[in-house]
Amino acid sequence: MATPGLTVPFSFDEQCRQGFTASMRTYVLNDLADHMRDVYEHRTKPTFERAQGQPPSSGPEVHKAMRRETIFKFYSALRCGVQEMCWRSVIPGVRRAAGDLNAAAASMSAEAADSGRATLDVDPSFTTPSYISDLDIHLMPGNYHEEHMPDDISQALIYDHGFDVFSMKLLGEKSDDIARSISLFVATRFPELKPERIADLGCLVGHSTLPWKERYPDAEVHGIDVARPCIRYAHARSQSYGQDVHFHLKDAVDTGFDDASLDIVFSSMLLHEMPPAEVSRLMGEIYRILKPGGLMLHYELPPNSLTDTYDSFYLDWDSYYNKEPFYKPVRDMDMSATMAQAGFDVADQVTFVVPSETMHGAQAVIDSVAQQDQPLDERISRLVEGMSWFCFGARKK
Amino acid sequence: MTDQAQEYTPFRDSVKGKRMRFFEAQGVDELANISLALAQELWALRARYVLLERAVIEAGLLDPEGVAGRPDALLDGDGERQERQEFIDRIFFTLREEAEALNAASPAEPEPPHLS
Repeated sequence: MATPGLTVPFSFDEQCRQGFTASMRTYVLNDLADHMRDVYEHRTKPTFERAQGQPPSSGPEVHKAMRRETIFKFYSALRCGVQEMCWRSVIPGVRRAAGDLNAAAASMSAEAADSGRATLDVDPSFTTPSYISDLDIHLMPGNYHEEHMPDDISQALIYDHGFDVFSMKLLGEKSDDIARSISLFVATRFPELKPERIADLGCLVGHSTLPWKERYPDAEVHGIDVARPCIRYAHARSQSYGQDVHFHLKDAVDTGFDDASLDIVFSSMLLHEMPPAEVSRLMGEIYRILKPGGLMLHYELPPNSLTDTYDSFYLDWDSYYNKEPFYKPVRDMDMSATMAQAGFDVADQVTFVVPSETMHGAQAVIDSVAQQDQPLDERISRLVEGMSWFCFGARKK
Repeated sequence: MTDQAQEYTPFRDSVKGKRMRFFEAQGVDELANISLALAQELWALRARYVLLERAVIEAGLLDPEGVAGRPDALLDGDGERQERQEFIDRIFFTLREEAEALNAASPAEPEPPHLS
């Protein structure tokens, strides 16, 4: 990662702890997850079938049966433990460096923000929605929004450095593979789209915002989030990478953009952090701000209607144990109906499975454009074979 | 540039609110986390030990032939990652025992005698 000028200098022991945590996470998500699936296939499922006369028919049924298995208990306890370690392995370093890096970020942002070249819009009266601020999402102490001193970016530093440990560097040096891959896909799939304004909603530190500016350098790109430290850090980080991107402390359901003023509205892993009613409001807001012909695209994990019972149980784990209470409710939503209620015709809705550019190369992303007419089940099954991003949305008429 | 928050909070190491629990017996969740933290600290210690060992060999104070293993593999990209995976598997081996046993099990395995 090592954002120029915004990187925490970790000690040797801290780097060793981070390396261990990344490997331990690989072990839990690969080895232990495989062992848990083996136990399910060889014992839990046959036992359930003998008792009930049929296999489990839903994710929650698999979940209830698996909760009794020792492997589930260890998988879950260690997964929670290693999740907390991702953050705890970087917190002492951030705490030491916070004063210096807060000053560095303010200095990086000042010229671009003051000149209006790249807006840093932080409304002092803004309040982070309580469904975000009432819990430590992703088991991250202090969450995304807490502040420890004036002009603080500490929680964003914890997130960005901790995410580097968490993601095992699979998302590239700038943790930006998701939007880098999807923006390349969009540019290939929709060559007629010449975006003048793009927004990334729920942008956090800008991992998925900057790739849009890199893909469309002439476009005006905006990042929106509800956490002050993230918006400040995202702005400084974008300047560190030489990109003029505008950042706003706002709620994605009330962006303040004019009607019909954006060409692309994107989000990455945002919807499942919102209550379903807010997701519905969000769709309405996006419909309002998109220009006719504009594109809305959301990156998420596939909904429960498209995954088998075991995968539903496996993917919904986070909703129960990773302080992401809306994960399952949102994956249970009928997104097509939700988009239609907001005004997006079913005929204009799209679903794509985009290969990771970091893992499979740019040509694979470009080639995948021609493969999107294959049945969705086949495309989603490819998610597990390599690394691909499921996204859905709509064109506005 | 200053845009003050409503209030400042201290840094926290702990997650607020309800803690997740998976084991029925009291204290097992905590013991699982203690094992995890011990493994992490042991790895950091091992890395320091390898650095020291390498320095001692370079200073000619220790014969490299007399040192088991491949100390130069540690702290060196893929070699280090591989070492870590093997290190973790040795510590948490018992968690793959059951899955391997179930995968390999024969339905015709003779039962041990019943204790009357």
